[in-house]
Amino acid sequence: MDYILSLVVFFPIVAGSFAFLVDAKSVRVFGIAVAIIEFFLSIVLWLGFDYGIDGMQMVEHFSLISQFGMSYYLAVDGISLFLVILSTFMTMVALFALSIEKDIKNLIIAVLFLETTMVGVFLSLDIILFYLFWEASLVPMLYIIGAWGSERRIYAAIKFFLYTFAGSVLMLVGILYMGHLYYETTGIWSFAITDWYQMVLPFNLQLWLFGAFFLAFAIKVPMFPFHTWLPYAHGQAPTIGSVLLAAVMLKMGTYGFVRFSLPLFPDASIYFMIPIAIIATVMVIYAAMVAYAQEDMKQVIAYSSISHMGVIILGTFAMNTEGISGSIFMMISHGIVSGALFMLVGVIYERRHTKMMREFGGLASVMPSFATIYAIMLMGSVGLPLTIGFIGEFLSLMGFYRIDWIITMIAGTGIILGAVYMLSLYKRSFFGPLVNDENKKLKDLNFKEYSALIPLVFLVILLGIYPKPVLDPISSSVKNMIRIMDKKVINKESKEILYKANSIGGGR
Amino acid sequence: MIGLAHYLVLSGILFSIGLFGVMKRKNLLMLFFSTEILLNAVNIGFVAVGRFYGDMSGQIFAFFIIAVAASEVAVGLGLIVLWYKRTGSIDLDSLQMMKG
Amino acid sequence: MEKYLYITLFAPLVGSLIAAFFAAKPKELYTGILTSALVGISFLSSIVLLNYVDADTILHVKMMDWISVGNLSIPFGFVVDQVSIIMMVTVTFVSTIVHIYSIGYMEHDKSFNRFFSYLSAFVFSMLILVMSDNFIGLFIGWEGVGLCSWMLIGFWYHKQSASWAANEAFIMNRIADLGMLMGLFLIYWEIGSFQYDIVFANILNLNINTVTWIGSFLFIGAMGKSAQFPFHTWLADAMEGPTPVSALIHAATMVTAGVYLIIRASDIYFLIPDVGYVIASLGAFVAVFAASMALVNRDLKRIIAYSTLSQLGYMFVAAGLGAYWIALFHLMTHAFFKSLLFLGAGNVMHAMNDELDIKKMGGLYQSMRATAILMTIASIALAGIYPFAGFFSKDKILEVAFNHEAYLLWFALFIGAGMTAFYSFRLVMMVFFGEQVHKRLGFHPHEARPFVIYALTPLALLSIVAGFLEYSFHAFVIDLLRDYKFTLDHSVGWMLIVATTAIALSGIAFAVYKYKRGGFGAGVESLGIYKLLVNQYYIPQFYNNAILKPFAAISTFFWKQIDLKIVDATVDLIGKMFYNAGGKTRQIQSGNLSSMLRWMVAGIAVMLVLAIILRPMV
Repeated sequence: MDYILSLVVFFPIVAGSFAFLVDAKSVRVFGIAVAIIEFFLSIVLWLGFDYGIDGMQMVEHFSLISQFGMSYYLAVDGISLFLVILSTFMTMVALFALSIEKDIKNLIIAVLFLETTMVGVFLSLDIILFYLFWEASLVPMLYIIGAWGSERRIYAAIKFFLYTFAGSVLMLVGILYMGHLYYETTGIWSFAITDWYQMVLPFNLQLWLFGAFFLAFAIKVPMFPFHTWLPYAHGQAPTIGSVLLAAVMLKMGTYGFVRFSLPLFPDASIYFMIPIAIIATVMVIYAAMVAYAQEDMKQVIAYSSISHMGVIILGTFAMNTEGISGSIFMMISHGIVSGALFMLVGVIYERRHTKMMREFGGLASVMPSFATIYAIMLMGSVGLPLTIGFIGEFLSLMGFYRIDWIITMIAGTGIILGAVYMLSLYKRSFFGPLVNDENKKLKDLNFKEYSALIPLVFLVILLGIYPKPVLDPISSSVKNMIRIMDKKVINKESKEILYKANSIGGGR
Repeated sequence: MIGLAHYLVLSGILFSIGLFGVMKRKNLLMLFFSTEILLNAVNIGFVAVGRFYGDMSGQIFAFFIIAVAASEVAVGLGLIVLWYKRTGSIDLDSLQMMKG
Repeated sequence: MEKYLYITLFAPLVGSLIAAFFAAKPKELYTGILTSALVGISFLSSIVLLNYVDADTILHVKMMDWISVGNLSIPFGFVVDQVSIIMMVTVTFVSTIVHIYSIGYMEHDKSFNRFFSYLSAFVFSMLILVMSDNFIGLFIGWEGVGLCSWMLIGFWYHKQSASWAANEAFIMNRIADLGMLMGLFLIYWEIGSFQYDIVFANILNLNINTVTWIGSFLFIGAMGKSAQFPFHTWLADAMEGPTPVSALIHAATMVTAGVYLIIRASDIYFLIPDVGYVIASLGAFVAVFAASMALVNRDLKRIIAYSTLSQLGYMFVAAGLGAYWIALFHLMTHAFFKSLLFLGAGNVMHAMNDELDIKKMGGLYQSMRATAILMTIASIALAGIYPFAGFFSKDKILEVAFNHEAYLLWFALFIGAGMTAFYSFRLVMMVFFGEQVHKRLGFHPHEARPFVIYALTPLALLSIVAGFLEYSFHAFVIDLLRDYKFTLDHSVGWMLIVATTAIALSGIAFAVYKYKRGGFGAGVESLGIYKLLVNQYYIPQFYNNAILKPFAAISTFFWKQIDLKIVDATVDLIGKMFYNAGGKTRQIQSGNLSSMLRWMVAGIAVMLVLAIILRPMV
């Protein structure tokens, strides 16, 4: 159990390197096997996770460049645990459903590399290591979109890469500056985030550094108006790319906010709370409306991701346990639901080679199981209680209600608009008479697709009814984080806001 | 009395001449000569400064440069000869294989 | 006793899941029988619970924790008290009958199994709604019934109109749900819990303004589910669903959830009589507004739907004015006779091959005697004639309005009562009596299967006698709900009863008299008021033109103009700038060595200058 974290991080990349030696015919099985083992490793990690500890645990710390305090530093807490499991789980499920034949070996290797970087991002506590994984994750995704995408794949891949890459550069500057600052105040170099948590920064500096980190995270999330890479990336990516992009890679941005922005720059976070909430609200409504206007089924889901990420941001900046825990839970739920929805679009795309809704209609009568699973995921997406989607959305909105009820109400229209675009998608594609002849002989789901979708359906309902095992560690780690913030806050007003956000009562 | 400044001025002048040559000449051989002038300008500077501070590393550096220059000339001239044999010209503007 | 609670709650779920396994398979009769039996078991065990609950004993269980974060803790907890047991009995009773009825009604439908799965799932959701011991549990049921209603309205999904109506219902409910969620958030942040007992115990400590906000927000939710103006349009469109669904969901149970919420939160509304008065006014308005649309409609099911709307208005008047037990009583009696009315309408539809236009019927009494009698009983009960159930509950509501000195409300309800009597008997007359138009059109109506008729008799029986339960009902529920004190003089009370009965009877008499002779002439249809009513006050058109179309247009505008042409174009512009700059500077890389040397020299010069300017200050 000692090196379980390193094992979870590096197993896919090592095993993936061996895939070069595997025969192209059996590489799919190999990839699935690796993903399953990796998933079980992450489950082992969960089993070994001590619910009693709300801080970091299973720490692995080795000095790499001791002169500059850079180290190999991995640890897990309630916030990152389930994001890791989400990454391994979604990779596994996405590989189950994989149906690409062309250059499959390269694809499998790219996916396994991607898995390592995704898990690495969530587990690294040394920020240089974090940055390494953060940037390295772009490369496999660039390759996946660029090599297996649809017609405009090169444009989409390059846009995705350059946009997110450019955003991160400023973060690097921020990181280096923070490291230098730490050196100046303490006399030793350290890039360990836990060390940085101890550092109290003057307000002005916080604002600047918050800004430097903000851009990188905001582009990754993606927040309005930095979102335009996403529809292209999703529109052009192969199914597996979209699944991993939506399910995991977007969460890196929101995870960054929770892990870095909030505890490192508490005053700045509280200072920017309302402006960011307004952006998030705009994002929720705007993306939902744009989603409604789409004609391409996949684009609807892409824009719906943006809309949901807005709610996550809102919850994150609620500054209370309810809101932040809710936003982390929603990262997981959105990962599962949007991943499943992209997979479902992949199913129909493979059969009809189109994603345009006007080509469909009446699919419910030829593909009943497909329609049923789609409906379940749709309900998860609109946040029906007892599905996984409700809890995160409810808690996020509830958390922010404490800060500002008007913004919450406006952002809450997202639950209405979400129903509008999702139900109209469903109506246009699945309901109505079956008019198009090509749709009349469509086959329902096959074994491969069932094997990928059934676990997702199961999770959507199970975690909707019994979220406790996931929510408990998240909640205690978030509480711990808020304690850190509370200790570090220097402005009196921010202290008051933080206190108010975390208490009950006191009039409107 | 000839002081450090004189040497440095000389070095500067030689350097400028070399630089001018590098920029102006089109003949590869002439370019070589200009580079040699540049190197020697630096040598003079090194030696003068080394002497001024009483530090031997200036002169050691100069030796190094002379050695490097010599080997450079050996290799470079070889290449030029080869080039001349292949194309019949050592005009700089004819070397445009790297045009992007 | 917990055992019975869980049986009541989960028996329908089990049935639903079993039926769901056969959803895509061809009809299996036993799924219908099994789900009916399980709902029946649920009904029987809720009867057991009804006997168990009394003034001192209620049943309160906590099944498990659901969400616990920070200060928040939401369990799956259930409570069986005087209010919820009434709802449970009503819901399971009507559901059992509707299930049995549906075996006959849906017998030729190829999605027979799926139907029963949905129907039982609905019963389960509704039970969650009424049995939960906290607001979030209620909200689960609230959304759950919304989902089931979406699935059932859109049951015949190949019909565009059905799937449109399903989406309309779901979305409209969601709009209202947002209001409700806001209320719930406020409750949490003021009190720190969602448990009814804790909330109601602490609500007194809150600032009255806050309570007003809470009450208003919750009422917005209630408006959506109970289809009150301006959220009423979905209910009439929901008639696209199979008729048993209309009977169960859109008349007897789900739509009354809003009223249930007000009754359940009576401790909150008691503190804010002003909000209560607004609720009552809206209720009275809807009572007349909906009844007026029912007067002219020609669609059999829509007429009954509007009458449901109107009766919900009555319930809200009672609940708003603080007569909670009367609202609950009317809710219960209404469930009996309205589901009977709908199920009877289902028989008629079957007989007429799904024809809904009452102008094409007439004289069906000859061929469908039993159905005609049942529907007449239900109509009399709806009209509120002694000794039928509607008389006892509806009359009380009018008395409450009068007692409250809300004479305007009373007058509205009074007029509404007359309209109700008229349109009910207009329907009965046009369908069952008068000229046999259907023969001319070539229909061959036939009576429904005997077991279907037998299944309806308990409803008919209760529609007649349920009113006499008033005293025991009152005694039972006021252990939990606040009693309502009548200060009216006895003689005034009698006068009111006489007046109401008189207007109801005259409404019936007018309808019978008029439609015996073929009804109004064609001249009526050219009247402005007729057009207004037939077009539902042009409200659907207004929604379509003022909300739906602009929404679609703005959405497209956002996408095509803003997202693609501004946001994305800006990003691309930045990208292109670099790209073009690269294209320009690329010419430097000519491959010409001498120009490269010159650039090198220039570079060195720049660096030298920079080194001098940026040298560290000594």
